Amino acid sequence: MKRRQFLKGMGLAGLGATLPFSLVEISFGMGTKPAEHESFTFAYISDSHLTHLGGTRFTRNFDQGLRKAVMEVNLMEPKPDFVVYGGDLAQLGKREELDHGLELLSALRPPIKWVIGEHDFYLDMGRYWEDKISPLHYSFDHKGVHFVVLNSILTYEDWIARWPTAEERMANMARLDNPHGSPFLVGEAQLRWLQEDLAKYDANVPVVVLSHSPLYKIFKPWNFWTDDAERVQKLLQRFHRVTVLHGHVHQVLYNQIGNITFYAMMATAWPWPYPVSYVQKPNQVPKLTVFMNRADPFHERDGTGWDILDLDSGAITNHYQLWLNENRTVAFDFKLKHPVDLKYQDPDKRIPPQFHY
Amino acid sequence: MKPIPATVAGLCLTVAVSAAEVRLPGKRDLLGLPPVPVPADNPLTLEKAVLGKKLFEDRRFSADGTISCAHCHRPELAFQDGLPVSEGIGGRKGTRNAPTVINAAYYTTQFWDGRRPTLEAQSKDPFVNPIEHGLKSHDPIVGVVRSDPAYRQAFERAFGVKPAQITIDHVARAIASFERTVVAGDSPFDRYLYGGDKNALSPAAVRGLAVFRGKGRCVSCHVIEASTALFTDNDFHNLGVGFDRIADRLPEIIAAFRKAKAAGKPVDEAVLSQQELSELGRFAVTGEVSDLGKFKTSTLRNIALTAPYMHDGSLKTLEEVVDFYDRGGFDNPMLDGGIRPLGLTAQEKADLVAFLKSLTSSRFATTGR
Amino acid sequence: MKRIPVWLMLAALAVPAPGDEFTEEDLKRWKAEYMKVMERGEKLFHSPLGSNNVSCDQCHPNGANTHPETYPKFQKQLGKVATLREMINWCLQNPLEGKPLGLDSDEMIALEAYIHWERRGVPLAPGKH
Repeated sequence: MKRRQFLKGMGLAGLGATLPFSLVEISFGMGTKPAEHESFTFAYISDSHLTHLGGTRFTRNFDQGLRKAVMEVNLMEPKPDFVVYGGDLAQLGKREELDHGLELLSALRPPIKWVIGEHDFYLDMGRYWEDKISPLHYSFDHKGVHFVVLNSILTYEDWIARWPTAEERMANMARLDNPHGSPFLVGEAQLRWLQEDLAKYDANVPVVVLSHSPLYKIFKPWNFWTDDAERVQKLLQRFHRVTVLHGHVHQVLYNQIGNITFYAMMATAWPWPYPVSYVQKPNQVPKLTVFMNRADPFHERDGTGWDILDLDSGAITNHYQLWLNENRTVAFDFKLKHPVDLKYQDPDKRIPPQFHY
Repeated sequence: MKPIPATVAGLCLTVAVSAAEVRLPGKRDLLGLPPVPVPADNPLTLEKAVLGKKLFEDRRFSADGTISCAHCHRPELAFQDGLPVSEGIGGRKGTRNAPTVINAAYYTTQFWDGRRPTLEAQSKDPFVNPIEHGLKSHDPIVGVVRSDPAYRQAFERAFGVKPAQITIDHVARAIASFERTVVAGDSPFDRYLYGGDKNALSPAAVRGLAVFRGKGRCVSCHVIEASTALFTDNDFHNLGVGFDRIADRLPEIIAAFRKAKAAGKPVDEAVLSQQELSELGRFAVTGEVSDLGKFKTSTLRNIALTAPYMHDGSLKTLEEVVDFYDRGGFDNPMLDGGIRPLGLTAQEKADLVAFLKSLTSSRFATTGR
Repeated sequence: MKRIPVWLMLAALAVPAPGDEFTEEDLKRWKAEYMKVMERGEKLFHSPLGSNNVSCDQCHPNGANTHPETYPKFQKQLGKVATLREMINWCLQNPLEGKPLGLDSDEMIALEAYIHWERRGVPLAPGKH
């Protein structure tokens, strides 16, 4: 099977789990490309927030974003192996919204892998999604890469129990800047499942984790955050190449923590500001990220888009498809051991629209 | 070829087309416009501009001696031809509406899809397009300008070159220089907003300006600023015009386009010879799928003189254009995010048209219909 | 200098301290008045004010990216130098597909109060894009 491809030529493979982290880096070359790897491409569409207005009417703006992404993915050349839907297909978790989303996405030609978002989950605690769309967490292998899909938008039981109606619960999770919100969680059950799932894989197998919320801590007031992120990171620590792809933040964002590369996926619906723009609270926006261009609100698709990901280099390269803006490519730099924007990473190369305040 | 209506023919007789018409833009001409952009490698001189006009009108630069630039960009018709799509040599029909030369100097790209970056570069393409002037190469043009005594003298005066040194690039630079003199602001709108003349606009046009900036949402693409107005954002947008011709068969059409390109067919030829390829818009230049069906924002200056409208000339009147935008363009998955139904009242639409009619520069007011 | 008439001098002595001598209590009370309006603005900001169920906070959580300290400024979407309130109306009419508010209406003032409150402490930067 594919595992053998990675074990070949890596005679010290069995030692990976016991050596201190830094030695693992040097001897197994987190900084060097894996010996053999089949490259492939996949697309990522996320955060469509389809909003039901009544009857068969939906907010036109958000419908347009998803329609455009679907058309463009279908015109991709070469065709992607699959498409990930990154969560928040609906705005308020309504069946009308999820059904409408399924209808729009049914035009997609490649197969879809689904990740749930909080806007899909909190009206009925994920029941409709599980019944009709996909399991909430699962894993799969593709061409030698182990993909893990987590439901990272769970939260504390006492907060869930607090709300008298499902609609109120959903509304309070939907509001990004909610002072009565609750931080996202992967939770004990999934952490146990993850540990068991990963145990079957060698440290040389590239691992890609798909989650809706970022699996690191950026800005708690807007839930750009997962409370037990460190515990997930710990479980991933022994692998040599781990990438986390997430949605939720609706902006270009990337980071490196230890052996894990994090890429945020674009939203098709609307852009969020960077947390640096809210001056009343401190933030941990990764310094590595070169911000996307500030959006012009007249052009509804400005600041939105989708992503093309490929493994040509041996690590995941993220080709941000930014509508109305120059596309940005962020790739893993094997010497620096973190992702870099291939055009703008050098501070001298920055352009005025990338300055947010 | 369409017979010229009697009124236009009459205008042709009264508007003197002579070298005296060429002048460097004056201060009054430029009310409402920034200084004309001039590239460092082609400083603007009157000699070049006068030479450029002569080249612009020279019919020898075509396969059968009938087509000059002025054939589609008629000075007496606001430098366009009033047709939905232009007709070149032998009456061959193209796919796109001829843009006016007036104020083209302010575009940062030329052609509806922006495939050429400068006036100089643009001027060379139509000569060798089989549907336009029909020449196989620029050689016949160079031959003429090197041998014709009047040209030899003019090129020496304008560029300081001997006949043997004249190239097609000198021709291009002269034509571009002429085009840089075909500029004007100084419309009733300019006099109202920038000239301090509060009586310059009718009450309807004043209301129309408010719609243009407000409910009509026009100003974000058709730019008006504090002291100048280009009426274009020099960007590309999908309004859905003509998109239904290709929407259902995009993969095949894109494949056909890529095949033609790989075989060496110039984009210029491909898009003007085949309707379907023409509808690809900006995609034909960038290859980016998100650019499908996008066309350049036209300036609206002198718009009353340059019907019909849109890249395929499919909208005949300003009223039709306003209705089109009011309906939210033609919906398609690639529709520009700024385009949506507007809910304009009949009064607002009429006022908007009145405003658009106020964008005619006094310099060109006697041209066109 | 003109002599001050006696009657005026006597009048000045007789009248109690004029109303501008406000107290700590006044300050607290007036601030509370403002905060009430600010809170109303917060509610409005987080409600769908147009026709398409979109609310301001969806693009501007905590009022981020509204940059109230930069107004008046040349606003590209309006084609002229404009104020925050005009831009609020632009947003109501465009992304929210709704109707504009009166520039001096209570709702507009409340929205402005909230937007400014979330941006308190940032120095003025008029005209900044």
